[in-house]
Amino acid sequence: MAPSAIDTPMQDAEPENNVPPPQLYPPREAHFEKFIEPRPDGYQKAKSRHGDRAAIVIDNGSSGTRAGWSFEDAPRFNITPIFSKYRDRKLGKTYSFVGNDVLADTTARGHMRNAFEAGSGIVSNWDVMESLLDYVFIKMGLEGSNGGVDVPIVMTEAVANLPYSRKSMTEIIFECYSAPSLAYGIDSLFSYDYNNGKTGLVVSSSHSSTHLIPVLNSKALLTQATRLNWGGSQSAEYLLKLIRLKYPTFPGKLNSSQTEYMIRDHCYLSKDYDQELSTYLDWTGLEDRDHVIQFPYTEEIIVQKSEEELARIAEKRKESGRRLQEQAAKMRLEKLIRKEQELDYYRDLQSKLANESKKEVKRLLDSEDMKDEAALERTIKELDKSIRKARTKDVGGPEVEEEVEEPDFSLLEIPDDQLDEAGIKAKRHQRLMKSNHEARARAKAEKEKEKARVAEEQRLDEEKREKDLEGWLQERRNAREDLIQKMKDRERLKADLGNRKSLASQIRMRSIANLASDNPTKKRRRGNDDDNFGANDDDWGVYRQIATGEGSDDEEEEDLGANLKTLEADLLKYDPEFTDQHTLDAQTDWTKSLVHAFLRGPRPFDPKSQAEAHQLHLNVERIRVPEVIFQPSIAGLDQAGIVEIAADILTHRLNGVASQEAFLKDIFLTGGSSMFQNFDERLRDGLRASLPADLPLVMRRAKDPILDAWKGAAKWAGGSAWKNAAITREEYLEKGSEYMKEHDLGNAYS
Amino acid sequence: MAPAAPDADAHQQLIDQLDIHSIHKPFRNHHWKPNQRRNKNIKTILGDAVRKEASLMPTQDNSGAATPNPDESGTSTDGESTPAVSTPGSIQQPNLAQASRNLSKLVLERNMRSNGFSTAPNATYTNIESAPSLAHPKHYCDITGLSAPYTDPKTRLRYHDKEIFGVIRSLGQGVAEQYLEARGAHTILK
Repeated sequence: MAPSAIDTPMQDAEPENNVPPPQLYPPREAHFEKFIEPRPDGYQKAKSRHGDRAAIVIDNGSSGTRAGWSFEDAPRFNITPIFSKYRDRKLGKTYSFVGNDVLADTTARGHMRNAFEAGSGIVSNWDVMESLLDYVFIKMGLEGSNGGVDVPIVMTEAVANLPYSRKSMTEIIFECYSAPSLAYGIDSLFSYDYNNGKTGLVVSSSHSSTHLIPVLNSKALLTQATRLNWGGSQSAEYLLKLIRLKYPTFPGKLNSSQTEYMIRDHCYLSKDYDQELSTYLDWTGLEDRDHVIQFPYTEEIIVQKSEEELARIAEKRKESGRRLQEQAAKMRLEKLIRKEQELDYYRDLQSKLANESKKEVKRLLDSEDMKDEAALERTIKELDKSIRKARTKDVGGPEVEEEVEEPDFSLLEIPDDQLDEAGIKAKRHQRLMKSNHEARARAKAEKEKEKARVAEEQRLDEEKREKDLEGWLQERRNAREDLIQKMKDRERLKADLGNRKSLASQIRMRSIANLASDNPTKKRRRGNDDDNFGANDDDWGVYRQIATGEGSDDEEEEDLGANLKTLEADLLKYDPEFTDQHTLDAQTDWTKSLVHAFLRGPRPFDPKSQAEAHQLHLNVERIRVPEVIFQPSIAGLDQAGIVEIAADILTHRLNGVASQEAFLKDIFLTGGSSMFQNFDERLRDGLRASLPADLPLVMRRAKDPILDAWKGAAKWAGGSAWKNAAITREEYLEKGSEYMKEHDLGNAYS
Repeated sequence: MAPAAPDADAHQQLIDQLDIHSIHKPFRNHHWKPNQRRNKNIKTILGDAVRKEASLMPTQDNSGAATPNPDESGTSTDGESTPAVSTPGSIQQPNLAQASRNLSKLVLERNMRSNGFSTAPNATYTNIESAPSLAHPKHYCDITGLSAPYTDPKTRLRYHDKEIFGVIRSLGQGVAEQYLEARGAHTILK
């Protein structure tokens, strides 16, 4: 994996040991922390306070249910609005869990349900909501001595909450929990109120949506409120989608809770998105921009064998090899002995034949399955040769050059009629041998000639190089270009063949039809019987073309690569302008690859490493995901971005309501998704562009974008505004579940 | 987080501790029987509201129960003109039919206002949604997120450079559609 190019980024990637390991971040996700004890102290305090100064305040948000006492300065707890209920058949018991307690058990996890409709701030599962409220009241230590919740309740709800949703909540609070009174308000307005806002534009980017609400003299202008359906949960889902596409074979388990934490920990808003984006995957600084999330993995254990063990294994292998050799030698020896015996026997036979009668000779030969004496002679000769060969091999004597004795062609010169039958037969045999012999000689000569030709060619080539280096180099360069082009063409053809409708595929089908058909070509129809197929070597390429799939990239492919290698080696050697960087290998090196930088960051990737296979690299995503709120079209959301909405409200819709400046002086950011770094700056820069230059523009963030809504509601509870806005139990019983009261910080009747 | 076998007892204890099903909840009204079908998603809620409104309109105005009265034009409940001033006689002679007619008109007007037909519409869940953007959307590479000057005509994916194009062309079946879905540009078959 040693990169061959020599520019700066290369150097710090070259030897693997002098690069510091990347900073790894562990994945985080929502998990069970600890058991929350029910604490009755708050309830006792509330009871002892008498009057209306004590209320239970519930910030009923889609990211978390925050509940506490109005006289305290922080909520008692913050739980995820999830619920799980299942029956354990083995124990015959039904279990219900709420909030992060759900995550303590795998079975419970499997039955998890959310109170809110996905991606919105509207409660849609009232069974879950009821259980959430049960949990809140249990943990806040309500005794329920009079069969109900005897403390007023203050709750937040979504901007322009649906009447059905509000009605259901009111019913539950009064019917199921028998609360003495209930008041609703909008979370972001509570937050604004808590941060002493009077007139301004509230920008609340929360878990499920982003709202912009102008507030005039502490009264929300709800008719001008605007919602963008994008918040933290959508961002998390979007990032999850992106990561799954980026790493389709990621072995770890991914969920939106993890991506939510990733967004919180690693994402930020770019001050100038397009500018930053254009250099995001550049080498310089990629190290800092690329955040690596290391998921847990188990390293494949490769048992490191000790030196001793290795030696022992080698010894064992050698030993068994030796044994095999010995066995083979033994077998060879046995064979040799047998052959020698045979040879002796035949020699014996031969000598015996010498002084026997013709008839006896015939009998003896027949019993040995031999035709005549010549055959016996041949057998003896063969045996002798093989024995000699085997001996030299075994003993290791000098290789005896197999003397190629010129066979005897004497009979060929004699005409047939001067020969007897056996003579003719022998002549035929000799003729065969002769042609054989000549062919061999011809082939040998041809080989020599070819060798000479190659040598000559090389000599000429060298001569040319010495005489005309530039021309020679140019030739090589052209050849290299051609080769690369050819490789590319082949690649493309292969890709095109994947598509049934492509031109390449159609040509291929036509070729197949042509080859299979008996009389297809035009030439033949014109009467010319020979179509000269094969005269040109390229004609055979048609078979290459029609072969697809396995085996189609055969040895010729390899050949191209090898040819390219030699050409490049020549160029490297003689062309001063052609350096390592120019080779095809270097150009397709990972250090040049944008995709590599995107997927694997600034380090080489080892596909065998389990650790690296379990890594996620966040780079472009770090600014791409938060950017959606400014450019919703990135994630396919057909709505105007936050700057466009704000500019529209400030410049058009508030015309004639009040002086624009009053709103511009206080643009207030709250909600969890507004906590991105640079959020205020981006909004300011965006608005600046669509407003007259001399207008003041003041941004501020909530002190605590997440908890200020609860704190504001707690502050508001017990005051005179609350007294007027709360619906009492009597009013509910008289006027029904759809009855509500409008107030400055709440929704309007619709 | 699933504990190993030796921890099973401890885990069971924890689960029993966390369980709220077995906890007695004295603050709950035990006669509370919620509607079995109260869980609705936003779409159903909005659909129900529209249907309810549609069924209200004819009963109020076009049901034919009340004959349009010629002198109805004079009676307005807008508050702009006092009925007492314009038709002084009606107070002395209360016309029962007209009174009921006026009441139904009152209700209708109230409904109309709440449904957003009046001059200043109320904020409802649907009408506060931000409108589509007027700005020209910028194109970003579907694979990397970088700027995308090109579009692949085959997959309709936007891409940054030729290397990414190579990646696009080597994508498996259906993957391109998933990329489009992330941008909301996928084809939905109905």
